[in-house]
Amino acid sequence: MSGVSHEIETLFRVGATQASRALAAWLDRPASLVVERLESLPLADAVAVLGRGDEPICGAGMQVAGGLGGVILLTAPDAVGLILADLVLGRSPGTSRAWHDLERSAVMETANIVGCRYLNPLATGLGVEDAGALIPSPPCFVRDFPATVMQAALSMQTAESDSVLLATTEFSIDGVPTRCGLVFVPDAAALGRLAAAGGRGRPA
Amino acid sequence: MTRPTDRAAAVHADAVAIGRIGVATQGMLRTFVGSCVAVALLDRRRGLAALAHVMLPASHGAATPPGKFADTAVPEMLRLLAERAGEAPACTAKLVGGARMFAFGTGTPIGEQNVAALEHALAVARIPVIARDCGGDCGRRVSVDVATGAVTVETVGHGTRTL
Repeated sequence: MSGVSHEIETLFRVGATQASRALAAWLDRPASLVVERLESLPLADAVAVLGRGDEPICGAGMQVAGGLGGVILLTAPDAVGLILADLVLGRSPGTSRAWHDLERSAVMETANIVGCRYLNPLATGLGVEDAGALIPSPPCFVRDFPATVMQAALSMQTAESDSVLLATTEFSIDGVPTRCGLVFVPDAAALGRLAAAGGRGRPA
Repeated sequence: MTRPTDRAAAVHADAVAIGRIGVATQGMLRTFVGSCVAVALLDRRRGLAALAHVMLPASHGAATPPGKFADTAVPEMLRLLAERAGEAPACTAKLVGGARMFAFGTGTPIGEQNVAALEHALAVARIPVIARDCGGDCGRRVSVDVATGAVTVETVGHGTRTL
């Protein structure tokens, strides 16, 4: 968690706790989110956060407007994403073999539910007057190279700096880490709030 | 998903990081682009190639690293190629990328802005764009074969094409 104050780190952990409850309720089974990484990274390293290879990943992204804006992504390796869709749809894991509308919808709705529950406590903790004023866009499904997915999410922060503040979490489902998780890329205004609240992660 | 060609896998490849420029006299230059644009400048006569991974259309004076911005990438690529060649290069260009991976926001997507800014920069430098694979909503893996000038574009679920 380099470059970020204890106070900010605590806020992200509170968000992860709330999101864990939402994920467990959504999947109707034990589930949790663990904050893995909260730090400012050079651009090239940030692009590689989801992996350096060319195996596709899947997921859903939302742009969040309001007092704590940015992009939040739910991502997973392809096979894990299909298992997540199975769990959401009440199927046995491994049932889904390809991405159809139903599977995509399951992943998008998971991103919506878990992502919003993750950010709301964070916004409240940062003093955003009305956390309900966070306005997420409809989720967009994506299945692409890891690097290109991250580039798209990072484009909002990169105009001002060559380093990027990232917060990443990983889901555990039934006690097993999944390599599925959330990535939050705050926008410039949100970076300002984080810096003002004690985050030292604002890019120089 | 498509796989790299046997030739691409067998030849040494330099990865060009986001916002950077790679120059080579042999082998391959590679990068991944989403809304970013890969611009390849090819001087076939001298066997030289440069590949920039451009993120944003305009530097607004913040030109470090120069490969990050369309308006600074092209002059820097020409400078690097001239340095290698010992004289001004005679280039053609190929453009790849500029996708809209997420349908967020309003206005002109950043990918389209990147492509337009690069076309302008190349026109100012009098470099013809001889091939392009731009737009859409998918990311692209770009491989430039320095020896042949061929640019291979691989996607997830949308096939492979060679420019």
